[in-house]
This record gives sequence, C-alpha cells and structure tokens, in this order.
Amino acid sequence: MDWPLFFWVVLKSILFSTGGFGPLPSLHTDFIAYGWAGENQFTEALAVGQITPGPNGLWVVSFCYLVAGFPGALLACLALMLPPLFIVIVERCYVRIANRPTTHGLLDGVVLVIVSFNIIILANLLRSNGLDMGMLSIVVISAALALSRRISVNLILLSAAVVGAIVG
Amino acid sequence: MSINITGGEVDNNSSSHPNPLRTDVSSDSPTITQLFITWLRIGFTSFGGGAVTQYLIQENFIHKNKWISAKEYTRLLGMSQITPGINILAMTILIGKRLGGRMGIVVALLGLIVPSAGITIGITATYAGFSEFPQVKSALRAVFAAIFGISLVTNWRNVKPIFVNNRKKGPLTLFVAVGIMIGSGVVYLFFNPPVVVLYLIGGLCGAITYWRVARKTKEE
Repeated sequence: MDWPLFFWVVLKSILFSTGGFGPLPSLHTDFIAYGWAGENQFTEALAVGQITPGPNGLWVVSFCYLVAGFPGALLACLALMLPPLFIVIVERCYVRIANRPTTHGLLDGVVLVIVSFNIIILANLLRSNGLDMGMLSIVVISAALALSRRISVNLILLSAAVVGAIVG
Repeated sequence: MSINITGGEVDNNSSSHPNPLRTDVSSDSPTITQLFITWLRIGFTSFGGGAVTQYLIQENFIHKNKWISAKEYTRLLGMSQITPGINILAMTILIGKRLGGRMGIVVALLGLIVPSAGITIGITATYAGFSEFPQVKSALRAVFAAIFGISLVTNWRNVKPIFVNNRKKGPLTLFVAVGIMIGSGVVYLFFNPPVVVLYLIGGLCGAITYWRVARKTKEE
C-alpha cells in the first residue's frame, strides 16, 4: 500500500466535502480506480457506521479498516480530525460579524438546508433497508422515547436490536 | 478571554460583557477534567452515528449541565456547517474552545474520537465475521429504524429555535424559513445539484430576509 497516497486520497475526500456521507463520492471514485476496494466494502462500512458510536463520518474509519487494516483506520482518524480544525479560523472571522442580522440569517438558512438533507438522506436509507409496519413502529416509538428524554438512547437502540433479531 | 486553572484560554466573554446567547446557562464553568469525562462518555456511548452523538451533546451540554444555551448551540451548529469535513467534529472543536480554550479543543477531540473510533474498528472486525447471519442483518435494520426516529427529534431540536425566533419576527420570516427547508429538499430530490450550492442559496435567502427585517425595524 502506498500510504502517503492513501492518506492524501482519504484527506482529499474529507477536505472537499461536508457532513458524514460527503466523502463517499470522492472515496468511491478513487478507491475503485486504484483497485483498493470493491462495492461490498462500501456498503458494509456504511452499514456498520450507522451503529458505531461517534459521528456518521466514522464509517470512513470502518471502511479504511476493511480495506487496509489497522494502519488504514489510524490514517483515516487523522484525516478526519484535520479539516474541521479550519473552524477555529472561521470562528475568528465570525466574531467580527456575529451581531449582524445577515450573519444570523446566513447560518439559520444553512442549518435549515442541512436539516432538510439529513432527513431526506436518512429516509432514503431507511427505505432502501426495507420499510414495513414493524420498522415504522420502531421509528415512531424511538422518536417518542427520545422526545420524552426518559430513556437513554443506548437503551432505545439496544431494544430495537433485540426486537429486530427476534422478530426478524 | 480568561485563563482557567487547568491552563486553557476560555473564550467565554467576560462578565462585564455578557453574551446574549448565554442567558440560560449555569454560572459554574466546567473544568478540563469534567469536559474530558463528558466527551469520553459521549464517545463511548453514542452508538447510532451522528444523530445520537448530537442528541447526547445536546443532553450533556445544554440540558443536564447547562454549560451552553440552546440558542448558542444553534449558532455553533450553523458555524460548523461552513467548514470542511465532519460537522460534528467542527462543533466539538467549537464547544471545546468555548468551554476550555485550546486544552478544551484537545480533550473534546480526543474524548470523542478515541473511544468511538476504537469501538468502530472493533465492531467492524466483528461484523466482518458475522455479517451473513440473518439475525445480524435484521438487528441492524431495526437499529437503523430507531436511529431514524431519534434523528427526527435531534433535527427538530436544531430547527425549533430558528422557527420560534422567526415567528416572533413575523409571518413572512417564518414562511421564508419553512420555504428554505422544504424548497431545498425538493430541489435536492428532483435536481440533485451539489449540496454546497444549496447551502449557499439557503444561507443567502436567510441573510437577505433577516437584513430586510432589520432594516424595516430600524425604519419603524
């Protein structure tokens, strides 16, 4: 494995994207082109990335582990942590313009778009997993429990896993 | 800017200039150790990806410890969208810096990433050996449905302060906010343009609307 090239390909995919699933198109193009990965490794890593702790983007760590073992996963962790540090520079500029209505409007507008995309992407993944009354019930019950804040989310996820494994 | 006992610069705006976004927060600042433990707890327990991670950040920093306000969280969330890479990591850096300066950034990143990446690697290795079992597939499917339900709550919490604020500004502003959210979704679904373009358009619509409202208020 050409590790500097591997690191650059992963870093580039994260640097020119935003959000958890953002690096997917770039990674897919490069890893297939270099012959480092097949389609199965992408789908497996994306599925595992949904249940592991931490941000959605950690599917990249799972993917790099499947492709290149532990060294690949470590390089992926490093590549994931570097680009977000730009936020420190962004924040410095933000302090100067923080109280302007246009700044608030800009950020609120971006948040509204992000929320819209989040719901669409997750809904598409839910549909592609196979949507039936059982899954819909889990969606509604999980949302209600999360909203009530009476049960920890880990317990909600664990219960869903047990129900899924038993009921099928 | 002040220095806390653990040596980090704390960007908390001095008490002589109170931050209007921090009106419903606790007066006790967390120590670096408290911050590290909190991030570690999130890193170890946020099974379910970004939606659950965000939910736990909200729970720990806004509701339980009251270290930041919901309004401030929304601002940080907005800021974290305009930086490359994983948005939650950018927000983790911002929260860490706000509460613990440079050391706050270090403990936030390490506390969140080291346990979650370690568990991710462990689960990936395990999953690779058991992925063909039907029970494993069914369990994963059900877990994803639960993640979707939790993400609906998380996303609602993200947009609620914006809708509440816009309703106070008037029906037109609220209409624009709802329009940005629905309109961007429709454009994304039917035309699939680069997402960055839609971020820019959504942000621009928000900026123009807020600017017009501010100018109108000033004139009155």
